[in-house]
Amino acid sequence: MTTQQLRPIVSVFPIKGKVKTIKQVPLPSVFSAPIRPDVVRFVHTNMAKNNRQAHAVSTTAGEQTSATSWGTGRAVARIPRVKGSGTGRSGQAAFGNMCRGGRMYAPKKVWRKWHRKINTNQKRYAVCSAIAATAVTPLVMSRGHRVNKLPELPLVVSDQLQSLTKTRQAVKFLKFIGAYRDVEKVIRTKKTRVGQGKYRNRRHVLRKGPMVVYARNLGIKKAFRNIPGVETASVYTLNLLKLAPGSQMGRFIIWTESAFKLLEDIYGSWEKPSKFKSGFYLPRPVMVNTDVERIIKSDQVQTVLRNRRPRSRKYGKKIQRADPYEDMSVMVKLNPYYKTKLQKQKELDEKNKKERKEIVDKSRKEYEDWLYFSEEEEEEEEEGSDEDREIEVLSDEN
Amino acid sequence: MKLLKEIQSKAFKRAEKYEKEYLDQEQKLVELKQKALKEGSFYREPEPKLAFIIRIRGIVGVPPKPRKILQLLRLRRIYSGVFIRLNKSSLRMLHFIDPYVTWGYPDVETVRALIYKRGHARVNHQRKIIDSNEMIYDKLQKYDIVCMEDLVHEIYTVGKNFKHANSFLWAFKLKPPVGGFSTVKKSFVNKGEHGNREQYINTLVKKMI
Repeated sequence: MTTQQLRPIVSVFPIKGKVKTIKQVPLPSVFSAPIRPDVVRFVHTNMAKNNRQAHAVSTTAGEQTSATSWGTGRAVARIPRVKGSGTGRSGQAAFGNMCRGGRMYAPKKVWRKWHRKINTNQKRYAVCSAIAATAVTPLVMSRGHRVNKLPELPLVVSDQLQSLTKTRQAVKFLKFIGAYRDVEKVIRTKKTRVGQGKYRNRRHVLRKGPMVVYARNLGIKKAFRNIPGVETASVYTLNLLKLAPGSQMGRFIIWTESAFKLLEDIYGSWEKPSKFKSGFYLPRPVMVNTDVERIIKSDQVQTVLRNRRPRSRKYGKKIQRADPYEDMSVMVKLNPYYKTKLQKQKELDEKNKKERKEIVDKSRKEYEDWLYFSEEEEEEEEEGSDEDREIEVLSDEN
Repeated sequence: MKLLKEIQSKAFKRAEKYEKEYLDQEQKLVELKQKALKEGSFYREPEPKLAFIIRIRGIVGVPPKPRKILQLLRLRRIYSGVFIRLNKSSLRMLHFIDPYVTWGYPDVETVRALIYKRGHARVNHQRKIIDSNEMIYDKLQKYDIVCMEDLVHEIYTVGKNFKHANSFLWAFKLKPPVGGFSTVKKSFVNKGEHGNREQYINTLVKKMI
């Protein structure tokens, strides 16, 4: 892998004096292992079960009676009842999980499977992932460590740290390097445990502070032992439960220089196997280059792609169309003659209206004329008739 | 684009032609009736060629024969409607499904409203709303149907290619009628709703469209 040839450089810092680089070492290949939270979670949840102590309910609990069921016909439930008399306990229900003083449902047994076997390779994969994550600042910060004031991450420090013997010296070093803020956090947030653990010898709960990884213990263990939150570990025996507490990757680790260098031998690389774990090579990532966008846009890919097929958007996907009887533009699109039709209809209507009006007016006029003339005629007829009558009367008498 | 322009210009001309044709048909009918009246005889109108059927009962508890016929007529759900050509065989089919449907003789405006507002085409086994004459042209050009008015005309006059025009259309999905039904269990003749309702199908479709 080309990544190995281009291994980045990490600075080594002194343990006192001035915070500046005294040496530079190449980054071990482990830090380029794939970061797999799913693997770490799986391994962590199973590994965490391995330090459990068996517990169980007493085998005799709830069974220490000679209770028998009264059977039917006594107007009571058929649950076994305590024999005898003279005490409140007699006649009470016994044995059942629903009974008071009865045994529980499925009493817990010590031969429950407390521990879990995990494939060795999986365990190693998880540890590699967790170590790689300790070099990723966002992950370390998201785990909650206060790493703003650190000169560099991964933090590698001279081997003189391994020879410290006094706690005072250790604290002074932590303050010097900028790691004490994380320790302060731990001290500040020490609380009484919530729950019954508090009276089962687990009274206090502490956060996790920095972890100091060494190659040789020349006093360093004792020096850091009493500082709250700080843990030490030998580089040969890195524990996933410490590297990714709560299966959350990104523990803040302070490496000594020799421990840091030893990582290359302990975990190997993709070309060279580990010297300590037989047959173990670093796990390979599924994708070496995870910048998918860049890959797709690269020349190598673009030149080999076939031409984009023209998408027929003719009557494409669910095209919502307005109701043509409400939206004129849709109507005209379907029937270009529609507007003309409406116009013609309008003209026709108007023409008919006009004709009708003429007919109505004409007939109305005719009626009025007839009415007028007939009134005149009636009047004339009335006058004439009176005179005629008088004349006739006179002639009759003669 | 050019094709669409051609289609649209054809559509214009044909729509004009059909408007005139429908008007002439109406007037002719009136004339013939008046003529007959004058002569003291009767004018027997030609029997209707086109019916519009609407399924007004649900799918639960339908016996096998009517169920099959309804399937054949594409009336697979309640308030679905189809056009059908009336001949002896189809009338016999309608006889069997009378209690489950109501049908009648649609007029031009009903046919138009159905196809314009609720007309969906069967394209690639999919139900797609007819939103352009191009859609019709693609499928029915070989039957000389290129636009909506052509389609309407073919259906209404039950032309030579009625079968193809009708199968181009997906079965109409109508809404339950505004104002409701009286009783579907009785036939229309008995103040119910099912069966042949002749020209009153037009008012019903207006309520359901």
